[in-house]
Amino acid sequence: MDRIKILPGFIIILLCQTLSGQSLEEILNQKLEKEAGPEYTMATFKAGRIINGHSIQNTEKGDLLFIIGHRFGTLNSGFYNFFGLDEANTRLGLDYGITDRINAGIGRSTYQKTWDGFLKFKILRQGTGPHTSPFTLSLVLGSDLNTFKDPASEYEKTFTNRLSYVTQLLAARKFGPRFSLQLSPTYIHKNLVPLKIDQNNIFAIGTGARFKLGNRISLNAEHFYLLPGQSADDYKNSFSLGVDLETGGHVFQLHLTNSRSMIERGFISETSGNWLDGDIHFGFNITRNFGLQKKY
Amino acid sequence: MSRLGTILILICLAFLSSSHSGQQQLYYSDIGKLDFTSDAPLEVIKANSGKLAGVLNLSDRSFSFSIPMNSFMGFNSALQKTHFNENYLETETFPKSTFNGKIIEEVDFKSPATIKVRAKGKLKIHGIEQDRIIRCTMKINHGNISVETTFTIPLEDHDITIPSIVQQKIAEVIDVSISFSMREMK
Repeated sequence: MDRIKILPGFIIILLCQTLSGQSLEEILNQKLEKEAGPEYTMATFKAGRIINGHSIQNTEKGDLLFIIGHRFGTLNSGFYNFFGLDEANTRLGLDYGITDRINAGIGRSTYQKTWDGFLKFKILRQGTGPHTSPFTLSLVLGSDLNTFKDPASEYEKTFTNRLSYVTQLLAARKFGPRFSLQLSPTYIHKNLVPLKIDQNNIFAIGTGARFKLGNRISLNAEHFYLLPGQSADDYKNSFSLGVDLETGGHVFQLHLTNSRSMIERGFISETSGNWLDGDIHFGFNITRNFGLQKKY
Repeated sequence: MSRLGTILILICLAFLSSSHSGQQQLYYSDIGKLDFTSDAPLEVIKANSGKLAGVLNLSDRSFSFSIPMNSFMGFNSALQKTHFNENYLETETFPKSTFNGKIIEEVDFKSPATIKVRAKGKLKIHGIEQDRIIRCTMKINHGNISVETTFTIPLEDHDITIPSIVQQKIAEVIDVSISFSMREMK
């Protein structure tokens, strides 16, 4: 009978011991957890572009990025063209962080001698703690001006006629330190299209992913699905595979893609290459960072 | 209830009161400053954090410090900060560095003084623990205890590897300085 009475006593003692036996480290952690502010997820992607398309990654406030994008000709153009290396498309771009959440950029592409500009806003930020979201949401507003002189055109190419617009919502989540996924619903508007049956308004859904292979190397993939319509009939979905390599101060992105252009209107709605036929362009983006304000 | 049961409950109460009085003796802060410098032949990198947190138990001189590794600012570029977090310290896997241990010397925390003490404990950075003794200057005032120290951290000790291409730009031994002021924990 005595044993039964002792038992609750033992349980109480055990409870007391766990109460008093709390280590200093546990006390500290509890105190810190109580007062923790929001922690935002870092480095969902390595650069502002997954491959061709925007990632939710922003240029930090006061940083100016000089981005050199290069797409060679197609691999199937043979030895005579040195597998595309004889031909080159470039885009020279500048991205600037106005604030940590608002970016602006301009660029000039070989493709149709196009000038482009964009604004990128970070709306929601993934993280833990108060005022964070399970994913990061950004809005991209862009526009481009096709300055190509086309004597064969039947229309008068006024300034307005040469403009196109792009609107993208980017929703991305980093699942652990290695894997990030992004969905990018896209709306493209072209002020002028060559034929009556061509679409002025084009919708597409982009998917992008990053998988970290090591500390300085990651594998990226990107696909844009054109919603059914004339553009989807005439053109191919853009698909790209690439690796991000880092060396101090630079990010190198090397990739294979069936798109020639590096602006949204071009690679999303005007990709003509077919992967299965070998219309694959080798390309790279080199990003060089200039810190204009010394505050990191 | 049996006599044994009563005794057990008394012991238990004693435990409770002791742990209670123990908590009265805690000093705490979470806004301590930590600066580090990597002084390499080709580049000097400096960064600092104001989020060093720590608690000191006056009754047994034990302490526990921790710092969130992604709280460092400074560096020479934003990308360098990203490299620090992603490649070298791997802050998502090892979010905190900690130092837990005990002050070796007997200290009279009641009378104001400036004294030199040695803090002995386990320093954990990048998931790797090292036994360390760190010399500190401790200032005791009424209701306020502050600690200042400088020490070094060899990267090799904590399994932080520097690729050969940037070996001239990152020092093998990092200089750290700390300024920390605690008040009684409420």
